[in-house]
Amino acid sequence: MGMEQPAWQQQGMLGSDMERLMVTMQAVEQACSGLQEPNNRAAAEATLLAFRRSSHPVQACQYILEHSHLATARFQAAATMQEAAVREWTLLSAEDKNSLRTYCLHYVMARAEAGEPFVQSKVLAVAAVLLKRGWLDSVATEKESFFNEVRVAVLGTHGPAAQRSGIALLESLVSEFSPSTASAMGLPAEFHEHCRASLELDYLQQFYSWAQDAAVSSAERAFQGVGTPLDVNVCSAALHLMSQILNWEFQGTLVRGPNGSIVVGKNRSNAFTSSMGRESIKRPGEHASVVQPGPAWHDTLLPPNRVGWVLELYARIRQGGLGGSGWIDSPFAVNARQLIVQLCSLSGSIFPVDGNTTQDLHLQRLMSGISPWLDPPEHIVRAIKSGTSESEFLDGCRALVAVASLTSPSAFDQLLRGGPRPVGTLNLLASLTCEIIKASGAQNNEEETWTGEALDILLDSWTVLLQPVDLSKRIPFPPNGIDAAAAVFHAYVETHVKAAAASAHEEGDDTEQLRAAIAARDEHLSAIALVARAAPSATVPLLAMLISERCTWLPQCTGGRVDPTSVLEELHWLLLMSGHVLADSGDGETPLVPESLSALSPGTADPVNHPAVLLSQASIDLARQSLETSIREVFSPRLMEAVVWFFGRWVDTYLMPADAGRGPNSTPSSNEGELPGQIASNTGQFDGRNSLVVAFGEEGGGKAVLETLVRVAVTALTAWPGERTLQEIVCFQFLPALVRRRNICAHLVTMEAWQELAHAFAYQQPTLSALAAPIQRALSEALCKSAAGMSSGDATNQYVKDLLGPITGSITGLSKREDFQTFAQQPDVILQVSCLMERLRGAARATLPRSQKAIFEVGAAVMEPLLILLQTYKHQSSVVYLLLKYVVDWVDGQVAFLEAKETAILFHFCVRLLEIYSAHNIGKVSVSKSMNLISESQTEKYKDLRVLLQLLTNLSSKDLIDFACDLNGEVENPDVAQVVYLGLHIITPLMSVDLLKYPKLCRQYFTLLAHMLEVYPEKVAKLSTEGFGRIVGTLDFGLRHQDVEVVNMSLTALNAVAFYHYHAVCRGQEGLGAHALSTPGPDGAPKEGVLAHFLRSVMQFLLFEDYSNELVEPAADALLPLILCNTGLYQKLAQELLEGQKNAILQSRLATAFHVLLNSNNVSSSLDRNNRRRFRENLYLFLSDVRGFLRTR
Amino acid sequence: MSDDDHHFDSKADAGASKTYPQQAGTIRKNAYIVIKQRPCKVVEVSTSKTGKHGHAKCHFVGIDIFTGKKLEDIVPSSHNCDVPEVVRTDYQLIDISEDGFVSLLTESGDTKDDLRLPTDDQLLTQIKDGFGDGKDLVVTVMSAMGEEQICALKDIGPKN
Repeated sequence: MGMEQPAWQQQGMLGSDMERLMVTMQAVEQACSGLQEPNNRAAAEATLLAFRRSSHPVQACQYILEHSHLATARFQAAATMQEAAVREWTLLSAEDKNSLRTYCLHYVMARAEAGEPFVQSKVLAVAAVLLKRGWLDSVATEKESFFNEVRVAVLGTHGPAAQRSGIALLESLVSEFSPSTASAMGLPAEFHEHCRASLELDYLQQFYSWAQDAAVSSAERAFQGVGTPLDVNVCSAALHLMSQILNWEFQGTLVRGPNGSIVVGKNRSNAFTSSMGRESIKRPGEHASVVQPGPAWHDTLLPPNRVGWVLELYARIRQGGLGGSGWIDSPFAVNARQLIVQLCSLSGSIFPVDGNTTQDLHLQRLMSGISPWLDPPEHIVRAIKSGTSESEFLDGCRALVAVASLTSPSAFDQLLRGGPRPVGTLNLLASLTCEIIKASGAQNNEEETWTGEALDILLDSWTVLLQPVDLSKRIPFPPNGIDAAAAVFHAYVETHVKAAAASAHEEGDDTEQLRAAIAARDEHLSAIALVARAAPSATVPLLAMLISERCTWLPQCTGGRVDPTSVLEELHWLLLMSGHVLADSGDGETPLVPESLSALSPGTADPVNHPAVLLSQASIDLARQSLETSIREVFSPRLMEAVVWFFGRWVDTYLMPADAGRGPNSTPSSNEGELPGQIASNTGQFDGRNSLVVAFGEEGGGKAVLETLVRVAVTALTAWPGERTLQEIVCFQFLPALVRRRNICAHLVTMEAWQELAHAFAYQQPTLSALAAPIQRALSEALCKSAAGMSSGDATNQYVKDLLGPITGSITGLSKREDFQTFAQQPDVILQVSCLMERLRGAARATLPRSQKAIFEVGAAVMEPLLILLQTYKHQSSVVYLLLKYVVDWVDGQVAFLEAKETAILFHFCVRLLEIYSAHNIGKVSVSKSMNLISESQTEKYKDLRVLLQLLTNLSSKDLIDFACDLNGEVENPDVAQVVYLGLHIITPLMSVDLLKYPKLCRQYFTLLAHMLEVYPEKVAKLSTEGFGRIVGTLDFGLRHQDVEVVNMSLTALNAVAFYHYHAVCRGQEGLGAHALSTPGPDGAPKEGVLAHFLRSVMQFLLFEDYSNELVEPAADALLPLILCNTGLYQKLAQELLEGQKNAILQSRLATAFHVLLNSNNVSSSLDRNNRRRFRENLYLFLSDVRGFLRTR
Repeated sequence: MSDDDHHFDSKADAGASKTYPQQAGTIRKNAYIVIKQRPCKVVEVSTSKTGKHGHAKCHFVGIDIFTGKKLEDIVPSSHNCDVPEVVRTDYQLIDISEDGFVSLLTESGDTKDDLRLPTDDQLLTQIKDGFGDGKDLVVTVMSAMGEEQICALKDIGPKN
């Protein structure tokens, strides 16, 4: 169409209205077909958009709807009509609105049998939008008569076609009124909220009943064969509507006020985050969402005959095979099942408080209907394997997990006892799980299939039963449940050991190494471990036996006599499984022995027979074999990875437990002076806890085990050169676990194996120096941490000095070489320097209060050499980065402890470091042939900046946390602010908005900024206009950031600045001075001062933007001083908002709210703590009152 | 082992064209490596195993630091790779001759006249414009395995 006027506007050129409409229709039709061809798409889209935006298109739309042969054109017409009606709503007369709505309904009814479904539903959506738009204006009688018509249609008076349309209309209504699926109307959030509440309170239940009635009657006709084929469709649609209604986000807090209006229960949490488009909140890993309509729904949903009817209906679908051979996946069956699963998820106040009787009966009823989908398991699984659809089975599993999450284990177990085939539900769950495990084992080469999904759902059921979120529901498992769990675990182990052996010769799978894959595997193993822990006396010995058995095979494989590969893979899997069963991952904390294991008694007087001891011992024996050179050749790197992983996890929980012998709730003093071994011998009885203490405690076998483990660690680190994954697990997981607790360290430092390691490390023996640099860092950290085990502070410091002395010697020696400038560039020297830096950094990260002195001395000794290195390696960004990282960690460990003199040394060093760095990096442009390398150098720069920011943040923390005991006070403490501002001065030119897009860097920058502005605002005031402008610019950026933390810190910074200014002005000082004043901008118009500017931004932010609730408090703290600094502007802004509000009621509400904000609750114009608190409360009230109608959608 | 018998002592005067062996498993992203006799910067390292229970091998993707070409190599992780010595030297720019060579001032006060202008457009324009405007320019020359190239530029303020 080019630049011509759109056809529907060429009114003057055409004779009659009819012709005009014809032309419009042709244009739209042409555009609709144009959409299909890539060449014409842009033009076609432009035409359609113009049509949508044209004024008064309704007549044309109706013409197209009635006359066009092109379904897509009719669809576009309906969409246009919807948009236009919302846009031009206020221009339409009441009659227009009514007739438009009626038109839509009649249109659909008239074409109920023939129209394309997507056009039909679009037209119905239009009707729903029209209805909602006028919802709050229309009077009750009007709605009543309208819904009467709908009811008549839904109940089938006008035949099945009209019935189906009626149901579809209700579906559109429900979806339009539900906030997450509502269409935008440019109206306040409060409007949407009221519509939702009104529908929930007055209509939803009626809709449900109508749908149910329609379903009952149409199903009856369908089964008796007296109706039309449409009846099945009607019934299916009605079921779908019912399940859609149950999906509604029930609020349950709605109350009708005294004057008949609905009081929307508003709490603080929903006043600020818009509920639009919010996803329903699901608990992780759960396959059924909870349905919680209020008590009012009791009579609609719970009567036995109603539930019974749905179940019976589905049973008849199953038998009669309505829907042909594929009945199982026909919409009819799917909708019925969906509804049944939702009925299983009912919970909350819909059930009367009667000790769960009603709920249990309800669930029993449902379970007896569902059990044929799942029982007998072997049968059903076999059928699915031979081609039956799995969807019914999966829905059954979903119902099971829904029920499991609502009941206690014993109640769950009882649900099927009264049925025709009395069986414990737990037993059913167990045999289902076993069948699925077997089925999944049989087809492990295929892609993820239904068995995977089913297993996930079933394991979820076990998890919710064994570990309910509500801990009060955690009551003992019935005995048959324990046996069932044991059976499931046996099946699982059997299948997976077999699968491991079968897959042992496969190519190593790279994806297995990905973090996501490992996390998914761990999650799966944790779930199954939970099952194993439910029956520990059966499951744990099984694992122990399987490991010991294979352990004895290994020596037979030496010398290449037998291929050990499948045994290795089996052991690998068994170790992973055992690690999950025996212990939880602590993430740095010390996890306790799982309750069911520690409560377990070994049954005999010999503690060695405790299952957990057996399994641990079997694993230790396996690990010990790796120490023997002759057998070691059999151990693959992969098996060793599993070994060290296992012990990294095991050590935290079992080795020399700190609370040995004490009950979980006893106070620390209750067993003081009593040795764990004595407890055992005193009582003469071993329960689980002291069996473990005897086996692995400090006084028991713990020391011997520790010695073995240290040797295993050293072997793993050195005997498989180049196996980085293995070395990483040793240094990042295993060694840190060994040195985590001081009582273990005390044994470590006296142990020969550990001392040998320390010696080899200190004197840079080749085996350890060949390790990758980060590994050396972790090793250094672990060794330095073990110093905590020394008996005195002096001994600790000496230990660290001995460890690091040779290293500082090497660095100093290097830097003093005459030919260092050229020599240093050799790759092997670069490598050596990198490793030394990493070693120092590891040591710095391990700084303890007791070893701080030694680490400071080490650091002080290398200060000069480091500056030389920084200068020499100015082109080796990787070395520079490592060097800076070391300084950051060193400062971090030291800064809190230093006295004035040492602080001065440290600050002086940091300033020189910053100067050298910036001298080499400011204004440098580097280029390269390859885009790839350019982006690499960009990343390097970003990483450097992050490190520098970290350094400044660490330095500035000196003012906050200062443990130094400076008694004489002769030396003046160097001014931290001075140092950090110098640093900022150096860094800000390197910083750009592009770099601030890196999340970590951004956070760091704003942390530092907020801190500096809070503590030293007077220094900011003295900045140059340019420097100040730069900071303001970044704050502007920070306020609009996505990250809540960043916005929070920006607000804190604003608060600090405004606070400072207000106080200064009150005292008659100049505060921010020129920065706060408005200045003439470049174009002559005055540029407002920063505080005024930020008052505007914060108001805008609070009133109109989406933000998290937790930001209101910092925003209130920033807003109050900003208002106090700019009362004039504040009044002006409030006035503007009031004038912009056309609706008189809302205007007066807004005026009151503004008045309350600054006047109620005794808010005064001071900035003391109490006043700020009162203002915060006022702001909460203000926002929850006003945002509802100010924000629109 | 005492401090003064470090294993690198003998190579004190090694030339810039030399390469050095280093265990493949310790070579990380952003390090240098020789692939097919070309000095490269490593942009990607991945490890895999020869069979589940075999030994690790490293897969390197490198970019030729002079030509920008992508090269790949696979090495068992316990074996050694060659690592090039890459040296960057700063020189002050004295002159640009009409045939595309630059004249540089070395630290010892001599001139170095055997280098061509870079082919990179952005850098080329910046050098030419900066020089034309009379700015004091320092160029960084990267050399490895006997090759040299201007790779960076720094403006140290206007000429006095």
